[in-house]
Amino acid sequence: MISPRVARGTPVIVMGISGRAGTLHSRLMKEYGTNIVGGVSPKTERNEINGIPVFASCSDAVKATGATHCVALIAAPQLLAAITEAVAAGIKYMVTPAEGMPVYDALKARRLALDAGMLWIGPSTPGMAVPGEAKLGFLPNDSLRPGPLGVMSKSGTLSYEAGYRLSQRGIGQSVWIGVGGDPVKGAYYSDLVPFFAADTQTEALLIIGEIGGHEEEDLAATLKAQQFSKPVFALIAGRTAPVGVAMGHAGALVHGNHGTFEAKRSALAAAGVQVFSSLNEMVEGVCARLPQSD
Amino acid sequence: MYLLEHDAKELLAQHGVPIPPGRLIDGDETIHRPALPPGPWMVKGQTFTGGRGKAGMIRKASTLQQIVDHANAILGTMVRGHRINAIRIEQQVTAAEETYLAFLIDPAAGGVRVIMSARGGVDIETLPPELIQTDVAPPDSAALAACVRRLAAAMPSHEAGAMCAAAEMLARIFIEREALLLEINPLFVKSDGRWVVGDAKFVTDDNALFRQPKIRELLRQRAAAYPATHLKLEHGFDYVVVDPKGEIGLLTTGAGLSMMLIDEMRAAGLKPYNFLDVRTGGLREETTRLVQALGWIAEGRNVRVLLVNIFAGITDLGEFSTLLVAALRKVPQLKVPVVARLVGNGLQSAQATLDQAGIRLFTGLDGALDEVRRHLADGGESPQ
Repeated sequence: MISPRVARGTPVIVMGISGRAGTLHSRLMKEYGTNIVGGVSPKTERNEINGIPVFASCSDAVKATGATHCVALIAAPQLLAAITEAVAAGIKYMVTPAEGMPVYDALKARRLALDAGMLWIGPSTPGMAVPGEAKLGFLPNDSLRPGPLGVMSKSGTLSYEAGYRLSQRGIGQSVWIGVGGDPVKGAYYSDLVPFFAADTQTEALLIIGEIGGHEEEDLAATLKAQQFSKPVFALIAGRTAPVGVAMGHAGALVHGNHGTFEAKRSALAAAGVQVFSSLNEMVEGVCARLPQSD
Repeated sequence: MYLLEHDAKELLAQHGVPIPPGRLIDGDETIHRPALPPGPWMVKGQTFTGGRGKAGMIRKASTLQQIVDHANAILGTMVRGHRINAIRIEQQVTAAEETYLAFLIDPAAGGVRVIMSARGGVDIETLPPELIQTDVAPPDSAALAACVRRLAAAMPSHEAGAMCAAAEMLARIFIEREALLLEINPLFVKSDGRWVVGDAKFVTDDNALFRQPKIRELLRQRAAAYPATHLKLEHGFDYVVVDPKGEIGLLTTGAGLSMMLIDEMRAAGLKPYNFLDVRTGGLREETTRLVQALGWIAEGRNVRVLLVNIFAGITDLGEFSTLLVAALRKVPQLKVPVVARLVGNGLQSAQATLDQAGIRLFTGLDGALDEVRRHLADGGESPQ
């Protein structure tokens, strides 16, 4: 697998660059320092947007720029086609923020990505960032700060809040990856554990989870099996959510005793993870274990 | 969306699946004998959770009086946080073996998990593993059918033929309707090889509704039973009243942060009224969605303060604030103080817009919650 870590010089192309989100966020990513070398839009007449050259297809963009990294700001119904195109063009690292991808499309896309050896981050994600280096997606700058904490999150907004508060207390992030809240997706927490275990700049891990599914439970099993030795903290949302009602994320649906807050808390705690159910507790808990810079 | 048993069965019946003849009785509707199928009957409370049998929400009846008594006992009962608003009365299936069949999307395996057992009618997790046949197949009808035949080969011959027939038909429906879960328990198998669906759990993929007209139509006809999904389909965002007596209306975006906010408010003794993931990134310079959400929040009789909490990633806060102020003007019935907590891209222009509208802006959530508490202590202004 290609490294989940990106660097300041990593060349990145943006699919859907002429759309509303594509135009805004290609500019914001570039301002953050991401090396955006090309955009893809089959529709636009424009040769460049935000000073970025625009190509008619992903394969044209890859041929012209040599990029292997891609952010697709494309709506959910068209995501499977975009991923198919990117895989065919030779992309090895793809971030797809759109929410609402049909599960059967995600199953097909996951198969494509696995077969091609492409790291796919998404759907339903704000993306990823290496603070101070580059961001692929739209994690808010207010929350980003270079530091020792590896972050994996199912929830965009909750991770923004967590990152923001920790940054204010002097604790930043090494690599931050929004895995997204969907049940079928490109990267799960467990898939990224070997990377965070080996990453020398990551001293501890913060998991932002929520009720539903069993990804947190699977993570607990993986941490144990791989004898992950760095401290792990987890913040889980939805402790008081009603059973059988999806709260926003398709994945956040509790059936019976599966996917409940308590099931996740006990599985993670048994794997040595410190689990919190409120932001303030989490911030105090992390600050008590990690050194803070000014 | 988790379909109620009645809707799951009627959807299956539309595709030719045999179900016991039955009728849905909603709330206060009077039960008339001529409207019912021939007895004896099962009286089944309709709710979104499993464990109905253990909770006494599934009962047998052999007279009309028994049906009425059971209906009175079941309707209005709370089961795991859900009120039972309807019952399905259907003909009992007699002289049949109870078997088990399920298809579910298995994210970790990247396919569809098939589970079959000759012993159904009980919680599948209580069965010893040697009585359960299971495997994973790719998500297409032919592969699923082949998987089913392979598993059935390992089962007692009496049930295998009927289960195979049932499973092939149900596999096709599962794939065509893009289901996430279809569990039939029990699947009744008669001695002559006929089969009938005893109970059905059906979970649809809300993200695929745009290309699933049959499920959209079901949802349209039964909107009242699925308010949250109906709203999402009609309006493109999620809204759930979490406490009808709640005092704090929430205008929030992001599922995780909104859920966490509710968890934390409750832990601190505050009473949030609603969950909302309004998706500020998708407002597209229109107030429609905000006006809709604010209008619903205004329906909360005890709502005394509105907390706006937006941590902007994809959203531009300046644009959002302009829309918020315009939307509040369009919902004059919401006569409560507004506390705003905003962080992210475009904060400066948001500050100017909210100042002008007399809305206090906080960047820390704790500060905003203190302000909310102050308004509640003041008694707030109660909506009419």
